[in-house]
Amino acid sequence: MSEKFHTELERLKQDTVEMARFARDMLCDSLQALAVQDIDGAKEILSRKKHIRETTIELEERTYQLIALYQPMAKDMRVIACTLKIITSAERIGRYGKDIANMVGFVKDQPEFMQPPPITHMARLVTGMIDDVIRAYETENIRPIENLSKRDDAVDTLWHSVFREMLTFMMENCRTITRGTYDIMVARYLERSGDHACRMAENVHYMVTGERIEIR
Amino acid sequence: MTDESIITTSDLNLWYHDTHALQSISIAIPRNRVTALIGPSGCGKSTLLRCFNRLNDLIDSVRVTGTIMLSGNNIHEPGTDVVQLRKRIGMVFQKPNPFPKSVYENVAYGPRVHGIKDKVELDRIVEKSLCDAALYDEVRDRLHESALSLSGGQQQRLCIARTLAVEPEVILMDEPCSALDPIATGKIEKLIDNLKQDYTVIIVTHNMQQAARVSDYTGFMYLGKLIECGRTRQIFENPKEDLTENYITGRFG
Repeated sequence: MSEKFHTELERLKQDTVEMARFARDMLCDSLQALAVQDIDGAKEILSRKKHIRETTIELEERTYQLIALYQPMAKDMRVIACTLKIITSAERIGRYGKDIANMVGFVKDQPEFMQPPPITHMARLVTGMIDDVIRAYETENIRPIENLSKRDDAVDTLWHSVFREMLTFMMENCRTITRGTYDIMVARYLERSGDHACRMAENVHYMVTGERIEIR
Repeated sequence: MTDESIITTSDLNLWYHDTHALQSISIAIPRNRVTALIGPSGCGKSTLLRCFNRLNDLIDSVRVTGTIMLSGNNIHEPGTDVVQLRKRIGMVFQKPNPFPKSVYENVAYGPRVHGIKDKVELDRIVEKSLCDAALYDEVRDRLHESALSLSGGQQQRLCIARTLAVEPEVILMDEPCSALDPIATGKIEKLIDNLKQDYTVIIVTHNMQQAARVSDYTGFMYLGKLIECGRTRQIFENPKEDLTENYITGRFG
């Protein structure tokens, strides 16, 4: 296989890292916009949707082209397979960011809004997981993702706790239903993003070691 | 390897003059499976293939040590009938090499050499061999025309039919598709897949995608050594040796 293939594969990988970081920023920035009720910031995040969609298609097409032209094998094949999965998961994460940004306008008029502490903590955990997966993919070193399962358990616990807490608020005071529902959705998106981080980590593990694992 | 072996070599060494072309090769070839040998040019894969039916005997200055067992019998045992050995282990070469005779005569040649004279029996063998080589439907009306009038892909399948006619146990294929177009290659690959129900196939190929497609087991050779041998899926998805990894990902070779 030609040197050209390996150059293109490396470039594809770097661009995928960039795209995944872009998606991660959409999620982070939207949470920040929601926390401080920044409508303009939220609008700006919504405008990134086009970019993430176009990048996803472009990266996927480049991946398909490499498969069609070079039929990669062994590690090269695993890099390609992992890259495709990362692109898909990263796009989902970016879209959750967009969905959260969408809520900013609705939540603004709700009485006594304050983001519940568990969501802030979840956000920190999940973005940390995503950062570490991207770093593991970029450096082909699985050390940063070795304890991901535990971190995802913590995220799941927080998600259940937000769910219960919000449900209690809503039952006590029906005026909190709109706000509570949005909070549940945000927590759910974060839980899903954590799950995507785990799926990406499984694929990075496969890419680096050739072995399939399941991160529960 | 968990499948039962039909051929096993142990500590097989081969020299051409002073060149140590095969170095301590120990490999087990599973019965009724397709085994591919891959590696860069000059790594010894064709030489190893030619050891299995003692074709290297025809070259002066070749010296072989170590053992090759075919179904438990040492093929270098004094008194081994080499003609019988080559009947049990047939071979198909890189370029189609039909005899300059009719299609029918090409296939009937082997059984005749082995003493079959009966016309009805020969007709049956020719038809069955051509069918098994997936060629019969294309040549049924041209059995008595010259084999040289067939296309390259048909000629190669005729050579496979000629090999099948003497009912071998093992079929050696040395780059059987390298002189063929993609359509003919596809037909041979499909044929190889069918052949393993009744035969053991060992194929040498430079085309790694072909090795990945057609074989159950793959051996990677480099500079006369067998570097790694295992299930094809494992070799192409997650090879254990760095040399194998570097070769199949095109980092050298």
